[in-house]
Amino acid sequence: MSGPRYERTRRQDQHLIGFECQACGWVSFPEEKRTCKRCGDAPAEMTEVQLQERGEIQTFVVQQYLPDDIETPQPVAIVDLPQAGEGEPARAYGLLTETDLEEIDVGTEVVARFRELFSDGERPINSFKFSVPREEKA
Amino acid sequence: MTDPHVVGAGMIDFGELYEQSFDDLLESAYLSLIENVDKGVDPSDIDAAWYGTIDIANEGSSGSAVAHATGLFETPITRVENACATGSDAFRNAAQAVKAGDAEVALVIGAEKMTDSTEGLIASAALERLWRGRGVTMPAYFGMRATRHLEEYETTREQIAEISVKNHENGTKYPHAHQQFECSVEDVKESPTVSYPLNLYDCCPVTDGASAVLVTSEDRAREFTDDPIRVAGYGLASDTFQRGAPEALTNFPATRQASSQAYERAGLGPEDVDVAEVHDCFSITELITYEDLGFCEEGKGGQFVEEGRPHLDGDKPVNPSGGLLSKGHPIGATGVAQIAEIFEQLRGEAGAVQVDEPEVGLQHNIGIGRNATGAVSCVNVLERP
Repeated sequence: MSGPRYERTRRQDQHLIGFECQACGWVSFPEEKRTCKRCGDAPAEMTEVQLQERGEIQTFVVQQYLPDDIETPQPVAIVDLPQAGEGEPARAYGLLTETDLEEIDVGTEVVARFRELFSDGERPINSFKFSVPREEKA
Repeated sequence: MTDPHVVGAGMIDFGELYEQSFDDLLESAYLSLIENVDKGVDPSDIDAAWYGTIDIANEGSSGSAVAHATGLFETPITRVENACATGSDAFRNAAQAVKAGDAEVALVIGAEKMTDSTEGLIASAALERLWRGRGVTMPAYFGMRATRHLEEYETTREQIAEISVKNHENGTKYPHAHQQFECSVEDVKESPTVSYPLNLYDCCPVTDGASAVLVTSEDRAREFTDDPIRVAGYGLASDTFQRGAPEALTNFPATRQASSQAYERAGLGPEDVDVAEVHDCFSITELITYEDLGFCEEGKGGQFVEEGRPHLDGDKPVNPSGGLLSKGHPIGATGVAQIAEIFEQLRGEAGAVQVDEPEVGLQHNIGIGRNATGAVSCVNVLERP
């Protein structure tokens, strides 16, 4: 019996853990990898790193047409998540939440919020969405 | 080794072909090819076939589907799937086999039954993959490049819309195109938002279609036509924004790599290309592709279209067929159809969309796979021998 595939990266999904290539500095998130997507090092030495909960929007769209179980309008972005320590950020897709569309732009700072992403029918599946930091809201 | 040559092409009218099954599309494209080879082709001459489809209709359409549609049961038929570069990669595989001398007369056939599926590509956006683009549909994936391109360069919304205007105008002159209407920049800007910043008229339609071409060795080409077209080069590469390169947020490094490979094989450069059929699944995709193919500098794609250079009467005509925006994008058929169109252009048979005596033609696809985290590009360069 196989489990649902989102279980495979559950620890990274819930704790924002990445994996840094010691050859070129590229950060894998959320997959724990043994090869590097940037320099091709194989086997690559990958070191676990903690990512920050504050990131920056690199680009975004606002979705108007999606399957019925996803709310629209749905803003979704490519977000850079810096490491807690030195090094490059991880780059990942992030859904935006609790944010006005007017607040979003390239370069906007966002903060990770632990939220339900979807339900598997019995229980919520939680991970991070992103929103504009509350204290900076007008 | 021999240079592969295209010696014939067939194509059906693209559209919402509810009355035709997936197999019917394949059969029609094959017959269109057979009937269009100048000196004729006996099916028994065909010694290998490559079939491009992503099988969006979910019919388990392997190579044997082509055998069922054509009667070529004893012939090796390989199905190729490589996202939206499926058709062009099927062609590339055939060209490689002919070049190697392993096949002498190869059929390339691409087909996609898009309208039988109620879910299509949009359902894949809802997969339970938390960081793999959940909620990122195709318009979102490409729209993200538009947002960043508008921010980073002097690109304007009107320049992006002009690509759709140009391609729809070309499409009205091209008999196989699905959407036969003209539109204005204002029409594009005022059409409903699909995924900001892209609107409905920035997006290609959902279309059924099929196309086929015949590729032979140089030695055998003149058995089939006195006017064969040489396959000068090809390239294929992948990329992902996850690798962290800034240019992957605005452009497609995979296209840059694939076109570099193709230019190098051909001994040609972007300045030599006289006509191109490129992947305009969305208006912004074509704008980015001008830059990635080297038709203009990085960040200058908007200016390139504003100056009229890729227009039918411009110095670098792009998508005279109307492109995917007008013609439609039956995924497995798209790349094969673009090869058929370049073949017609280089032979001077493109009718109302014929450009002025082209010698070199380029065909390009960019595909998105892996739940919207990866990009794959295929580029083929054809030349009058």
